[in-house]
Amino acid sequence: MNSIVVSLLVLLGVLIGAYCIAVLQHLVLLGPQRIGTALLLPLADTLLLLRQENLLPRKADTFLFRSAPFIALSVVALTSLVLPLGPGLIGFDPSIGLFYFLVLLSPFVVSMMNAGWSQNSKEGLFSTFRAAAYLVSYEVPIGFAAIGPVMAAQSLSTEQIVNSQANLWYVIWQPLGLAIYVLAALVVTFRHPFDSALSGSELEGGVFSEYSGPRLLLFRFALDALFLMVMGMGVVLFFGGWQGPLLPGPVWMVLKTFLLAALVLWGGRFLPTLRHDQILSLSWKILLPASLLNITLVGILTLIIPGGSR
Amino acid sequence: MTGNAKIHTRAGALGFSLWKQAPRQYFAIDGGSGAHLLAALAERSPYLKQVASPRHANVLLIIEPISAKLVPAVLEVAKALARPAHALLLGEPRAGLDGFSGGELVRVEELVPGARRISEASVETVLDTVLQPEQWPELAVVDHAEPEQTISLPSKQEQELATELIVLSLGPIQPFTAGPLRLFLICDGEQVLSVQVESGYAYRGIDKAMMQADWQDCLTLASHLDPLAPIAGQLAYVRAIEQLQQWQPPTQVVTLREAALALERTQNVLWWLVRFTKIVADEQFLDRSYRLATAFADYTVQLWQHLPVTWILPQRSLPTPAVVKDTAASSQFRQIADNIQALRTSLERNRFLGLRIRGIGELTGERLKEAGVSGPVLQGSEHGSGDVQSRLVARLQSAADDVHEIAKTLAAQASVPIQEASWEVPAGEATVRVKGPRGDIGLHLVSSGTEKPSHIEWRRPSAAVLGLLPELLVGQKLADAEVIVASLDLGMAEADG
Repeated sequence: MNSIVVSLLVLLGVLIGAYCIAVLQHLVLLGPQRIGTALLLPLADTLLLLRQENLLPRKADTFLFRSAPFIALSVVALTSLVLPLGPGLIGFDPSIGLFYFLVLLSPFVVSMMNAGWSQNSKEGLFSTFRAAAYLVSYEVPIGFAAIGPVMAAQSLSTEQIVNSQANLWYVIWQPLGLAIYVLAALVVTFRHPFDSALSGSELEGGVFSEYSGPRLLLFRFALDALFLMVMGMGVVLFFGGWQGPLLPGPVWMVLKTFLLAALVLWGGRFLPTLRHDQILSLSWKILLPASLLNITLVGILTLIIPGGSR
Repeated sequence: MTGNAKIHTRAGALGFSLWKQAPRQYFAIDGGSGAHLLAALAERSPYLKQVASPRHANVLLIIEPISAKLVPAVLEVAKALARPAHALLLGEPRAGLDGFSGGELVRVEELVPGARRISEASVETVLDTVLQPEQWPELAVVDHAEPEQTISLPSKQEQELATELIVLSLGPIQPFTAGPLRLFLICDGEQVLSVQVESGYAYRGIDKAMMQADWQDCLTLASHLDPLAPIAGQLAYVRAIEQLQQWQPPTQVVTLREAALALERTQNVLWWLVRFTKIVADEQFLDRSYRLATAFADYTVQLWQHLPVTWILPQRSLPTPAVVKDTAASSQFRQIADNIQALRTSLERNRFLGLRIRGIGELTGERLKEAGVSGPVLQGSEHGSGDVQSRLVARLQSAADDVHEIAKTLAAQASVPIQEASWEVPAGEATVRVKGPRGDIGLHLVSSGTEKPSHIEWRRPSAAVLGLLPELLVGQKLADAEVIVASLDLGMAEADG
């Protein structure tokens, strides 16, 4: 009974978090003077999609098409379990929490691929291949970027990683790791400017081109929630998680997460949507060598900086 | 509604009242005359959002006229909308072509039951109507079983490591041209191997209609040649008649006509820029170009005492000063010219945007001249490398020059003696060229001294570029194809005639 309540609370938290990300997106786009509109728009959008017909394309793979948004949302809910909001305030804290988080990013992309593949349309097929290519390319840099904090904390436990930053946040001496993590996270969560699998008028909305109504709503929630989770993990890895003066730990965690998310969303405004081959080149030619360099640097610094390894 | 002068925006009108509104997501079908309106609408309100797939839309905007060739695509989109949905028709079904048998235009109400019509609308009227869709009935289910038109794949050489080719149809309803155009791209993965262009979706038969109309009615038809640039078509026709009448307009009249034309060109460039930056999804430049375009549209609306279409007539001198006597107008236009220059510089220097627009869709000046291409596309190749970026820079540079010229004209306007229009056209032949927003619009006019022209032939700048699309797109990436086509600023109504 207790676990059911916890699960429901986690799901509720994920949905509220996703809503807040949607608000933040509108806020970045409209400016702070239209905060009222930004607060209400996601709610209005939700109601609109709830009222809308749930279309099923002709000759679609019904099971994959229907299940894809649920898989996406489930994956996000599962990733949220290892995100510590405060000391002891975590769904569960396995010794391989970070590994568990990174591994779960793949099924999310797979759910997107299912969505594109099952539509029985050429646009969906193209988007599926794009999503698959991004998955293959960006799992490596995001994993390598996360290795830096793991090396310093000598643990894969997310709570342990936060605790090890009590004296010095990893962002101070691993800024390259943070940059790689943020870029790779943007690709994995299909955010602008790496959203060519979802947008682009040549693909009529990409993976979601045939989705409508509540299923589309679920997907949008899942995407926003995943972005939140990945930003949250960024705070855990590089910004000391819940740690901060005066305010309670969970407040710091939430504040830092939304601040990082806002910065990333704001920065995206200055970039056009990148082409798929540019996204792949960025991964293999720039981020991968940079992440290897980062690991080397972190290894050296861990030995030099007092308390670098815990 | 769709002509330049009618794009009017009202800043800051949308406030608290919209909190009560439900958001609308719309999919737009542009028959060829609505590009400016759609660009102005797209960024107008956060409650109204344009979507890439009809599945995501709950409002369908159809901008008329719609040709018979475009009907299957319209029906397909109407059927694809998730219900409940509403449809709004903008403009007139025959858009000034009433009484003339040109192209085959259709009444969309009969095809899309439940659609509501706004004949003459500003951005605000459309916005108010769309945000209150409960005022009109929901869109009925559209029966449409016509299979999607496609082309067959070419045979491919058998290879050990061969990939499968795919035909991707872009359009006819797509955002990268002003009006409908279909491109069949045969792709090997993301690489475009060959291209087939299918145009004619915006055909209205302007030439044919003009041959049946008298000299005065032809003026309206000429202004419809390019619905996004009515002054250019009208001025070409007026100049041709004046050439036949052997009448030389006074310098003041010529200057004012040129100013009106320059305003139209600039407005076209600015709205095109809004559409272009939306396609490459650069929020920063989209925001800047949208603000510039709306400011320019607002100044233009306030500028004229009489709209240019009412006084650009053969042998006509102005009844009263055409331009509002406002000393601030000249400095406002100078300010806009400076802003366009600043935007041009930052677009040129922006490395991130350069990633999407540099080195793609290159065309040499010689090839363009050979194909009869003129205007900003040619300038981009003559003064730059001929890629997407150079076309963008050339357009903005010419817009900035135009606005500077307008500012000078406004500062030094003088009155001329009033003279009524003359519609007596003697026998003869005339050939004229007018610098339109997409290149030189040419007109060859033959008169046998009767009430109607005996022969009319338009030279349409977008039609010249259309023929270059296959060679331009082959070898490009699929994602670049739409950026390249968008950079050419094809006006499909003008291209199809």
